[in-house]
Amino acid sequence: MFVTQTSQSQTFLANRATGHIGLSVVAADGVTRRAQVHEHGSLRARFPNTHDGALEVVIVNTGGGMTGGDRFTVDMAVGEGGSLVAGTTAAEKIYRSTGPAAELNVTLKVGAGGKLAWLPQETILFDRAKLLRRIDIDLAGNATLIMVEAVVFGRAAMGEAIADGSFLDHWRVRRDGGLIYADTAKLDGDIAGQLGRRAVAEGGIAMATVLLTPGGASELERVRAIGENFTGEVGISAWNGVAVARLIAKDGATLRHDIIALLAGLGTAVPRLWLQ
Amino acid sequence: MGMVMDDVVRKRALTVRSNKLRPSPRKQGPTAEVHSELTSRVRGNERSSAHLLRLMAWLSPSFPVGAFSYSSGIEWAVEAGDICDAATLKDWLSVMLTNGGGFCDGVLFAHAHRASLNDDDKTLRDIAELAAAFAPSKERHLETTAQGNAFVEAARAGWPCPALDRLKSVWIGPVAYPVAVAVTAAGHGIAADEALPAYLHALAANWVSAGVRLIPLGQTQGLHVLAGLETAIIDTAERASAASLDDIGSSAFRADLASARHETQYTRLFRS
Repeated sequence: MFVTQTSQSQTFLANRATGHIGLSVVAADGVTRRAQVHEHGSLRARFPNTHDGALEVVIVNTGGGMTGGDRFTVDMAVGEGGSLVAGTTAAEKIYRSTGPAAELNVTLKVGAGGKLAWLPQETILFDRAKLLRRIDIDLAGNATLIMVEAVVFGRAAMGEAIADGSFLDHWRVRRDGGLIYADTAKLDGDIAGQLGRRAVAEGGIAMATVLLTPGGASELERVRAIGENFTGEVGISAWNGVAVARLIAKDGATLRHDIIALLAGLGTAVPRLWLQ
Repeated sequence: MGMVMDDVVRKRALTVRSNKLRPSPRKQGPTAEVHSELTSRVRGNERSSAHLLRLMAWLSPSFPVGAFSYSSGIEWAVEAGDICDAATLKDWLSVMLTNGGGFCDGVLFAHAHRASLNDDDKTLRDIAELAAAFAPSKERHLETTAQGNAFVEAARAGWPCPALDRLKSVWIGPVAYPVAVAVTAAGHGIAADEALPAYLHALAANWVSAGVRLIPLGQTQGLHVLAGLETAIIDTAERASAASLDDIGSSAFRADLASARHETQYTRLFRS
């Protein structure tokens, strides 16, 4: 019995995917270049040509998704005065898990005068998916960050709802060591049932958070001015030097539309792969 | 680890706990243990009365933290039609309590209380920082920090204790409301399993009061809603006490959204 359990769990662990991307970029003479690129396991970093020559990294998951027990780590550092746009090739699919959660740990550092746009495509949770995601961000001085994270609960086009699953999305943003923003979204168990409640999502299955820092009154005005462009629900607020917009939509397509409209209102274009 | 710490906290904070969690002395027979139990219960009764009086004072709507002026976004939810009667108010509030700001406040409260009792300055500072940053919107941030700062000032004036001075010495930033009440309770030897349900009840009662004024509801309907939330209050306090700081989290997404949209509401009675 003991031996069987051990060998089963070893077989399980041997089949779990791991992946790591470590990327640092530095600026010299107004141009940002790669300093270090480390890739391991199922994650790859690609650097497509861009119209304006700005440095863009696209994260590729060669496994095509994540399942229970998979552990991915992404560490990115933008040096002083550097600029980087980070995205993904496709929506990240989180498959069902009968055991532990899929874990994704993201650490982002931006030096003074630097700018990072973290714009991955949405994460799609399948029924019985378990995801534990941690995003830790350290900003120095006047570093700029714009980030989007979107999640869709269930493949609505296939009539799938999440009868059981777990989702923990943990964000901590620090500037010069001080915590300026902390948020954790958490759903467990009958996720579809909970999303149906008015104070949760009133049946919406797609949601996103867009965070900008420094962010304040001008971001609020710009987003509020385009309020009629949104199909789903959008609210924006700013405090502690952070502007945070929350979006809730009935499905993934509506959410995408609203994210693109919101970013356009803020003067940020999504990476080209979003539109393909 | 959590259990061990809990036991230490309970022993230090309080000799007598509620009867339902304690084996009846009668069932154990007339032993020395029973004698000491009864003696401590007599002393404990005086102490419990003092605890109850203080919790009632600190969490009364008249305690000068301005609780009446915050609605946690309920004002927008009523304006938008999400809350329109007693049933929709109760459903909205039970989400906020069990899976929203109530639960998050509860976890912060339990951890701040424990850190304060254990004189663990580093942890207390980290919790105070997390609590001040853990807000979904500007107005919810204002709500927790303005009430927390006011609570600390009022408690230091009426019920000074070294625990509050210590909090101010380790954390110079704004104090979130659950941290302020938890540290004050700990500083007066009031156990978390007494103080936390009382805190969550005060939160819920304030939300119900906002709902009653805004919808509007009759007083009796409001009382039904509050009575109907008792189980959720007790359950949330228990879950929050057992939770780690990593378990803190919310799924009250539209309630959070409501607090952001309240900022642009044309006619407002409330600050949040």
